[in-house]
Amino acid sequence: MGHGEKGRPHKKHKSSAKEEQRSTFVEDDDGYFGDEVDDDLRDGEGKKRDFSKLELKPDHANRPLWACADGRIFLETFSPLYKQAYDFLIAIAEPVCRPESMHEYNLTPHSLYAAVSVGLETETIIAVLNKLSKTKLPKEMIDFIHGSTANYGKVKLVLKKNRYFVESPFPEVLKNLLKDEVISRARITSEGLQGNDGFTISKSMGEMGNSHDGLLNEAELAAAAEEKETHSFEIDPSQVENVKQRCLPNALNYPMLEEYDFRNDTVNPDLDMELKPQAQPRPYQEKSLSKMFGNGRARSGIIVLPCGAGKSLVGVSAASRIKKSCLCLATNAVSVDQWAFQFKLWSTIREDQICRFTSDSKERFRGNAGVVVTTYNMVAFGGKRSEESEKIIEEIRNREWGLLLMDEVHVVPAHMFRKVISITKSHCKLGLTATLVREDERITDLNFLIGPKLYEANWLDLVKGGFIANVQCAEVWCPMTKEFFAEYLKKENSKKKQALYVMNPNKFRACEFLIRFHEQQRGDKIIVFADNLFALTEYAMKLRKPMIYGATSHVERTKILEAFKTSRDVNTIFLSKVGDNSIDIPEANVIIQISSHAGSRRQEAQRLGRILRAKGKLQDRMAGGKEEYNAFFYSLVSTDTQEMYYSTKRQQFLIDQGYSFKVITSLPPPDSGPDLSYHRLEDQLSLLSKVLSAGDDAVGLEQLEEDADDIALHKGRRSMGSMSAMSGANGMVYMEYRTGRKLAGQGQIKSNKPKDPAKRHFLFKRRYG
Amino acid sequence: MPQVKIIAKNFMDMVASLPAMKLDNLYSNAFICEAILRSLPPLAKKYVLQMLCIEAPVSAKSMEEWVLADGSTKHKVAIDRLLQLRLLTENVDRKRETTYRLNPVLQSNLQKLLVCGEVLPREPMPTNVIGKLPSLENLEDFAVEQWECFLLQLINSSQAERPSNISSSTMKVFQRGLLSQREKEAPRLTESGFQFLLMDTNAQLWYIIREYISNSEERGIDPSDLISFLLELSFHVTGEAYNINSLTEVQSSTIKDLADLGLVKLQQGRKESWFIPTKLATNLSMSLTDSSSRKQGFVVVETNFRLYAYSTSKLHCEILRLFARVEYQLPNLIVGAITKESLYNAFENGITADQASCIPWLFYIISFLQQNAHPRVSERIPSVPENVTDQIRLWEADLNRIEMNPAYLYDEFPSREVFESACDFAREWNGLLWEDSKKMRLMVKAEVHTNMREFLRRAKQ
Repeated sequence: MGHGEKGRPHKKHKSSAKEEQRSTFVEDDDGYFGDEVDDDLRDGEGKKRDFSKLELKPDHANRPLWACADGRIFLETFSPLYKQAYDFLIAIAEPVCRPESMHEYNLTPHSLYAAVSVGLETETIIAVLNKLSKTKLPKEMIDFIHGSTANYGKVKLVLKKNRYFVESPFPEVLKNLLKDEVISRARITSEGLQGNDGFTISKSMGEMGNSHDGLLNEAELAAAAEEKETHSFEIDPSQVENVKQRCLPNALNYPMLEEYDFRNDTVNPDLDMELKPQAQPRPYQEKSLSKMFGNGRARSGIIVLPCGAGKSLVGVSAASRIKKSCLCLATNAVSVDQWAFQFKLWSTIREDQICRFTSDSKERFRGNAGVVVTTYNMVAFGGKRSEESEKIIEEIRNREWGLLLMDEVHVVPAHMFRKVISITKSHCKLGLTATLVREDERITDLNFLIGPKLYEANWLDLVKGGFIANVQCAEVWCPMTKEFFAEYLKKENSKKKQALYVMNPNKFRACEFLIRFHEQQRGDKIIVFADNLFALTEYAMKLRKPMIYGATSHVERTKILEAFKTSRDVNTIFLSKVGDNSIDIPEANVIIQISSHAGSRRQEAQRLGRILRAKGKLQDRMAGGKEEYNAFFYSLVSTDTQEMYYSTKRQQFLIDQGYSFKVITSLPPPDSGPDLSYHRLEDQLSLLSKVLSAGDDAVGLEQLEEDADDIALHKGRRSMGSMSAMSGANGMVYMEYRTGRKLAGQGQIKSNKPKDPAKRHFLFKRRYG
Repeated sequence: MPQVKIIAKNFMDMVASLPAMKLDNLYSNAFICEAILRSLPPLAKKYVLQMLCIEAPVSAKSMEEWVLADGSTKHKVAIDRLLQLRLLTENVDRKRETTYRLNPVLQSNLQKLLVCGEVLPREPMPTNVIGKLPSLENLEDFAVEQWECFLLQLINSSQAERPSNISSSTMKVFQRGLLSQREKEAPRLTESGFQFLLMDTNAQLWYIIREYISNSEERGIDPSDLISFLLELSFHVTGEAYNINSLTEVQSSTIKDLADLGLVKLQQGRKESWFIPTKLATNLSMSLTDSSSRKQGFVVVETNFRLYAYSTSKLHCEILRLFARVEYQLPNLIVGAITKESLYNAFENGITADQASCIPWLFYIISFLQQNAHPRVSERIPSVPENVTDQIRLWEADLNRIEMNPAYLYDEFPSREVFESACDFAREWNGLLWEDSKKMRLMVKAEVHTNMREFLRRAKQ
């Protein structure tokens, strides 16, 4: 997308484009407002909270948590009740930080909305919370829970036999809703079913398989499992969006939960797919699925799992449980391929039932049900399409989808969601993501567009369980060289600041050193991330490594990635921010970040995610196993520049998940001298003049264009801000990659990774002790 | 390890520094003799016991034969200590032969002790007079509470609940060195004060007692009286009641101050009043040599710089506030965060005019966090996450990036030649800091200034 007709602004791009602009002129602006909101919550001394007057229960030592009147909850992770308490808290509250010994959560209206929507009731929430709390629950908290849950979860939108019903156990709520003009007009009154209020009365199953059993006594459980009488009225399918809109908190404040009674859907044809026997969801995957299918229906919502923890298996499992046509949306063509592959890998779906719809491949499935994998842009694109894809999109529009599976929901702008959701008719929406943080505040929108957060895994628990890699994070401090710093401070170079601190020769040397160390000593696979295109090209050319950025064609990307995965001679690739999301490179276990997108916490987490997929044997990875750390994340920052400030901001999310960044100040080692590039002052100075003579636009951030869309076939490719592409550097890079291949056979790199402590670099020895 | 400025100096060092007369007087008290004996290093203790019944002087040579060759340093230390405390008297006779003799007063006192057995300084009061005594736990709580209240007052915290009897002048004495008292400024904690607060209770107690004693003369009290009373006090039984009437005038005025410190609890009956020594008092002489009484830790520091202290104590809260941002106070938990700002706040207090004195604040903070680590994390190595300690160090290092050098600026050179020769001269002396050849200005280190001036004067001629 983004290759649309000239003179026609692309609405759907607006927000991301804005974001990029802002960070191009970082010094003018803080970059993000989202952070500030978060900081406020942490800020403290002025409004220090003194709750020391709360009454401690006599057996407080046995209870795992403290609850404060302002909604903050502290959880001891060493309590015997930790597991149960964690499952409960993650359902009702938003995690603030989850390090090793003590977790903090915030009770928010949204989190309570999510709690209600997975079937927890107000009284249950209060009762369980009270049971777990060391102190008596503050009255304010109880009031808050009552207040927040009063309206939430009372109304459901159910698609049954292709008719939309508004359903609620409370007839008075429905009456309330019908007072609204929009809703009453949308109502379809069917004859013959007139009860007292004209509502249809039916029984629905209570919540089953909730895992808080240990905490509730039997009576409470029985109540939860009891069948409930529900009242409902039907509404006009064409009015569904409007009705939903009216129910949002800014209007009637009865946000609707969406559930899909897929077992009773006889209108939509079934899709014959099962999970393959070897696809065995892990405990946390099971748990997230059980939240989704808790009452026998499929709920819409978001599941949050760290990258590499197997989000795709959750998606495929969900699709094979619903067994209806499924539309799967990914962010780019590479990940479309990967999703299609995952479907074939984990489920028994037939080859002809799954198809990819991208600019390069326009497949159509045969039969009456199937899976379509495509990108957000393909669906949301508003311009003129080719005849062939027009047909396909028409088909997508007209079909009723059992499941709308949305990958990486945190990256897609909210209005894009609106568009996608209004175009496609789906019974159930499942959003997947690793980081439910956005630097803008649009996370709220997601809550209502897709649904509440159904489950969120704890990163550290997954690390301890050996499900994801244990990453050693490090921040490498590279002092600016005198000459670079002098230029950096000059006013006229304000637009080149980023280029100057990224091209800092000390940083380059540190990067070169790390690549060499990991390639040669450990035989690792390395990804180097750079947002700054100028730097990316400079680094990649100088070090003779292949690189991928926005303008790299799909074919070339696939080729480079394939070589990285299979060839023993391609162990390092350079990626621009196209590599941040959803490119699956399971082989990589080292990341070196040389430049980044201002203070984006999400980017940092996503990049780390590239190496989280667990490698090696499970028992080695478990706590106390052979390899304490098996993946490395380096963030290279030039000291005394803006980068330091951003770096702290960026790390916040990961630090809140319990990761710690070790600061390394001695890289490259002082004795490395001329082994590494830019040792001589002349070399440094020529690099400096290169940076200074480059145009301002060339040294800025990459203006990322989304993946090649349909239109690209009709129009010439327009590449904003990538000078290298225009100058033909594109091809050069490819050449570099070929040259790299020629070096094959020198084979210093052994496939067996040396784990011999003696061979470790001294910087790492301390770690292993 | 940085140099520690206020060590809780051994109580015996203070005793040893008393004038000879007073020291000799002290030994007339049998309890002091016993306390002194207890506090001695093992070898010195052995010598005293060995010489207990020898009335004649013992030659230094024969004493040397008591130890093996490799023990000679220990031997020397022991003898020095004994001489310092005037337990041994040295005598050099005409043949230049050194002999030692045990202090006769001490000797007879100890002999008596050996023969008659230990007697209590005073008899506890019978329970029918006083009724129910507080339980040992209550007493301990009382002591801790008193002590914390005293400390809060000491650091001028607004959190101190009630004023104590300790006169403001005495309090000022304690604060001397711990708080900076500049005019028109709220008193602030000095570096020593900071270190003091982060020490363990025993060490703090010794510091205060020492100040209390060394200041006694200003109040018209003989320090040796105080020392003997304090040592005597430690031979009382914890939790028993003792009649105040049995005290001398000096002692009964002292005991009120000691009650404020939590060493004794005072109670008043219908007719009589009495004091009950707490553990703080009875441990005084026992903890003379070893000051480490391991208490259970309470602090958890997480990798995200958050700090959780399992404590109900206001004092702990105040201490944490010295270097962390306290965010939540719960009935038995204090939640805070270590931030760059909060640490700089701490450093700021310690920055004195003397830039060169490398501030070991950091060291105190880290060791405080480590020593008080909650059992849950204390087994983990390190108990405070590495990234946190690293970062604290880096933050501190950030403060020390600028180095100050006194220097002199020279400009308005008559000619380029003079300027260049001046530069060369400064370079030769290794004192050229900066030069600007365009405007002909240069800067030299202060220590080269006189030479430079001389050089220029000569150049002028």
